Amino acid sequence: MSISAEDRADNLRAMPATPGLSWIGRLLQTTSAGRVVAVTFLVVLLTFLSVYPLSMLLYGSLHSTPPGMAGTFNLDGYLQIFTQQNAVTLLNTVGIAFAKTIPSLVLAVLLAWILARTDTPMRGTLEALITLPFFIPPILTAMAWGMLGNPQVGLLNQVYQWVTGSNTAPINVYSYGGVVWHMMQYSVPFLFLLIVDAFRAMDQSLEEAARMCGASRLRTFCTVTLQLMLPALTGAAILSFIRGIENFESPLFFGTPAGIRVITTDIYDSINQRSPPEYQYATAVSFVIMALLFLIVLLQWRILRGRSFQTVTGKGYSPTVMKLGRWRWVTFAFCLLFFFVTVILPVGQLLIGSFFKFFGFYQQDMLTLEHYRAVFGSGDFWRGFSNTMLLGFVGATLTMLLGGAVAYISVRTKWRGRRLIDAMAWLPWMMPGIVLGVGFLWGFALLPHAIPIYGTIWALLLAYISLGTPLSVRIMSSAYAQLSFDLEECSRVHGGSWLQTMGRIVIALAWPSFAVGWVLLFFGIMRELSASVLLYSVGSEVLSVVLLKLWANGNAEQVSVIGLIMMGMVILFRWVQLKVIKSRINAL
Amino acid sequence: MLVKPGIAKAALVACLAALVVPAHAEDASWDAVVSAAKKEGKVVVYNMTLGAPYFKEVLKSFETKYGISVESLDLRASELAERIRTEQAAGRYLGDAEMISSTMIEEQLKNGDFIQKLPPIPNTANLRPPFKADDHSVPAFVQPMGILINTRLVKDEDVPRSWDDLTSPKWKGKILSDDMRPLGSGNAMFSILQKSMDADFNAKLAEQKPVFSRDMRNDARRVARGEYPIYIPQIFAFASDLKGLPVKIVIPKEGAPYARMDLAVLKNAPHPNAARLFIQHFLSVDSQLIYANAWMLPVVAGAAERADPEAQPFVNAKLIGPATLSERPSMMGLAKKLYP
Repeated sequence: MSISAEDRADNLRAMPATPGLSWIGRLLQTTSAGRVVAVTFLVVLLTFLSVYPLSMLLYGSLHSTPPGMAGTFNLDGYLQIFTQQNAVTLLNTVGIAFAKTIPSLVLAVLLAWILARTDTPMRGTLEALITLPFFIPPILTAMAWGMLGNPQVGLLNQVYQWVTGSNTAPINVYSYGGVVWHMMQYSVPFLFLLIVDAFRAMDQSLEEAARMCGASRLRTFCTVTLQLMLPALTGAAILSFIRGIENFESPLFFGTPAGIRVITTDIYDSINQRSPPEYQYATAVSFVIMALLFLIVLLQWRILRGRSFQTVTGKGYSPTVMKLGRWRWVTFAFCLLFFFVTVILPVGQLLIGSFFKFFGFYQQDMLTLEHYRAVFGSGDFWRGFSNTMLLGFVGATLTMLLGGAVAYISVRTKWRGRRLIDAMAWLPWMMPGIVLGVGFLWGFALLPHAIPIYGTIWALLLAYISLGTPLSVRIMSSAYAQLSFDLEECSRVHGGSWLQTMGRIVIALAWPSFAVGWVLLFFGIMRELSASVLLYSVGSEVLSVVLLKLWANGNAEQVSVIGLIMMGMVILFRWVQLKVIKSRINAL
Repeated sequence: MLVKPGIAKAALVACLAALVVPAHAEDASWDAVVSAAKKEGKVVVYNMTLGAPYFKEVLKSFETKYGISVESLDLRASELAERIRTEQAAGRYLGDAEMISSTMIEEQLKNGDFIQKLPPIPNTANLRPPFKADDHSVPAFVQPMGILINTRLVKDEDVPRSWDDLTSPKWKGKILSDDMRPLGSGNAMFSILQKSMDADFNAKLAEQKPVFSRDMRNDARRVARGEYPIYIPQIFAFASDLKGLPVKIVIPKEGAPYARMDLAVLKNAPHPNAARLFIQHFLSVDSQLIYANAWMLPVVAGAAERADPEAQPFVNAKLIGPATLSERPSMMGLAKKLYP
C-alpha cells in the first residue's frame, strides 16, 4: 500500500503541464515542493482511510473465508447475488430510496427557499427547529414512531378512533409507508442543511435580470434559481439517494416486521444471522452496490460538466429576501407544521415515556424518576459520553479540514489527479456502514503489530473520519463551486500570498458551510453505530453503543432519557452556530 | 488375635493425616492463583449478555470481593464470534474469559484453537447434575424459554399449557415470535421442538403465520402493551423485571427448550489467573443465586433452593434440549423452508 501511494505521488509529480492550463494551476504546480508533499500526504491519508478498508472487503468478497483464515479464492459471493429474490430486494431498495428522496428534495427546496429567500418571520429560529430531526439518533425516532404509529395500540390511531368513533386503524408504521416516513425524518433536514447556504449566498441580481426581461416569478425560479442551485441540488439529492439505498435502521425497525427486505437488511442477515457469517456474500453485494452508486456519481459529474455555477463574484451584491406580504404567515405556519410533525410528536413521545416505569404505559402509579437517576448514575453512560464528546470534536474538526482540502483541490485546481482524490474521498459513502465496519475491523486488526490502532479509541476516530469525509467534501465543494476565481485573482494581483488569499477570501466566504458541515459531522459521529459496535473495545465505548445496549436490554426508558439529553445538546449547538453565522453575515 | 487398641488408633490417625495432606496442598495452590490474579489486577470478559443487570451485579461482586477490575465487552453473538476470530488470527490478544453458548464454544473448537485448556477450577466440584465441566469450558448458567402471554388478552381457559396449544386456530396471526430462521433463540426453540414434539409440529406452527421480530427484550413489552397476545420463545429472565405489567410466563408441560451458556478462557489471555478466578467466582453459590433470582437456571447445587419463592418455578423448570451444532444446518434449512 505504501509503495502504491508513492507511485501515485510520483505520477502526480511527473504530470506534464498541459497547454491552456490556467495560470493559477501552473503557479500551484510549479511553486515549492511543499505543494507536492501536501498532496502526497493527502493521497496517503485517503488511501489509508478509504482504500485500505475497502481492499480488505474486496479480499473478503473474493475469498471463501475472512482474512486470517485458510481458504480459496473464488467468485461464489458474486454468483450468489443473481437470484430472483435478490432482484425483488433490489427493486425494494431502489423504490424506497426514490420514494424517500424525491418528496424529501421537494420539501427541502421549499423550506430552504422560505427560510433563505423570503421574509417569513422568525427565520433563524425556524431554521434551527426544522433541522432538529436530522440530529436525533434513528433508534429514538424508531421507538417513538413505533409507539405513535403502531397499528394495534398507537397513539395516533387511538386519537383517530376517539375522534371518529371508528374501529379501524388507518396508520401502520410497519409498512412501506412507515419505512419511507421514518427515512424522511432525516432526509428532509439533511437535504435542507446541504442546500440552504447555497440559497442564501446566491446573488439576486441574476434573478432580477430575468425579471427585467419579462420572466414571471415561476419561470425565474425554474430557469435561474434552480439552475444556479444545480450543483447543490444534484449533489444533495445524490447523497440522499445513496443514503436511502444504504439506510439500515428504517427497514430494520419498520420493514422487517412487515416482511420488507432491502439490500442492507439482507446484508445484515447474512452477517449477523447466519452460522457461519456469510462475509463473502455480504461484501460481494456491497461491491455491486458500490459500482451502481458510483455510476450515479458519474452521472452527476456529467450533468455539471462544463457549466459554471459561480454566483459569488467580485462584484458587490447584497442578499435580499422576497417580500411575501400576508403570505409570510402561511409559510410560517408550514414550517411550524413540519416542526410539529417531525420533532414535537416523536420527542414528546420520548419525553412522556421517560417519566413512566415502562415505556408506553401511562398510569399514574407508574410515574417515576428512576430512569433519570439510573442514567446519571451510570458509569457506562458517562464513559460513553466523554468518549463521544472527544471523538465528536476532534473527528468533526479533522474531517472538515480534510474535506475542505480535498474539495479545494477538486473544485479550485486543474490538477489531473484531482478526480482520483475526489473519488477516494467518496468511496466510503458507497459502502453500507454495516459492511464498512467489518472492513475497518479487519483492516485495523491486521496492521503490523507495531501500529496499535486496533481496540483503541483511535480506531473509532479513523473510521469516523473516513465515514464523514464524503459529506465534508460535498459540503465544501458546493461552497467552493459558487466562488468565482476572480475573487482569488483580485487578492493575488494586490500582492496577497497564497495563505492570505485562502484565509481572507476562500475561507472567509466558505466558513458558514464549514460550520454547517462541522455540526452535521459532530452529530453524525455521535449517532454512528455500524462501525462503532465492531470497533469499540473496553474503555472506548461510545454513546451510540451504550444506547444500543440499553435498547437491546429493553431499557427503552433510559434510551429516551439519553435521547433527550442529546436533543438538548443539539439545540445548544445549533443556537450557537446560527448566532455566530448571523453576526458574521451582518459584518460582511 | 485381638489388635492392640493403641496400634489401631495410631493407624487411624495416620490415615486421616494422609487424607489431609492433598487437600492442604490444593488449597495452597489455589491461593497462589488468587495472589497472581490480584497482581494482574484486571480481567476482560467477552460476553453477549446485552447489558443484563444480573450479569453486572456479578461483576460488581467480583470486583468488591477481590479488588480486581472487570472490563466487559458485550456484543451480539455473531459480532462477538467475528471479533474473537479476527483478534486471534491477527495475534492481538485482548480478551481473557468468554461467556457464550455451548454450541459457540463447540464451533470454536472445531474451527481453530481460540480457547485454551481449562486449568482446575475448584467450584466445578459443586456443579449439580446433569451439568459438568469438560476440558475447555464449564457451564455458567442455563437460559430456558417458555411462552409469554398477555393476561388481559388471553383468558384463563385459553392459556396455552402445552406447545401444541399454540397450533389452535384461535392464535392464527396473533403470535409474535423471535425469527426462527437465523441463529438465535427462535432457531434453538425450533430445533428442540422439532425433536421433542410430533414431526409435523413446526409445520403446523408455521401455518399460524407467526409475526417475526428480532427485538427479544422489547417484544415482551409489545405483548404487555397488547399488540399481540402471545410471544415465543420467551427467555424466562427477560420477563423477570416486568413486574406490574399484564404478562405472565407459561412453562409448557412438555418442558422448556434451553440454551446453555459456558465460560472458557481465551487463548493467550493477558490475565489468565484473573480469568480463572472470575470463573471460580461465577460458579459460587452467591453468584448463581443472583442469576436464579433473575429467573435463569443455575448450574451449581444449592442456588435453586435458596432462590426467591417467585423464582422457584423457573429455576427448577423441566428442560428439553439443547440444540446441537451438528443438527444446526439441517434445522436452519428446514426453518427456511417452512418460513420462506
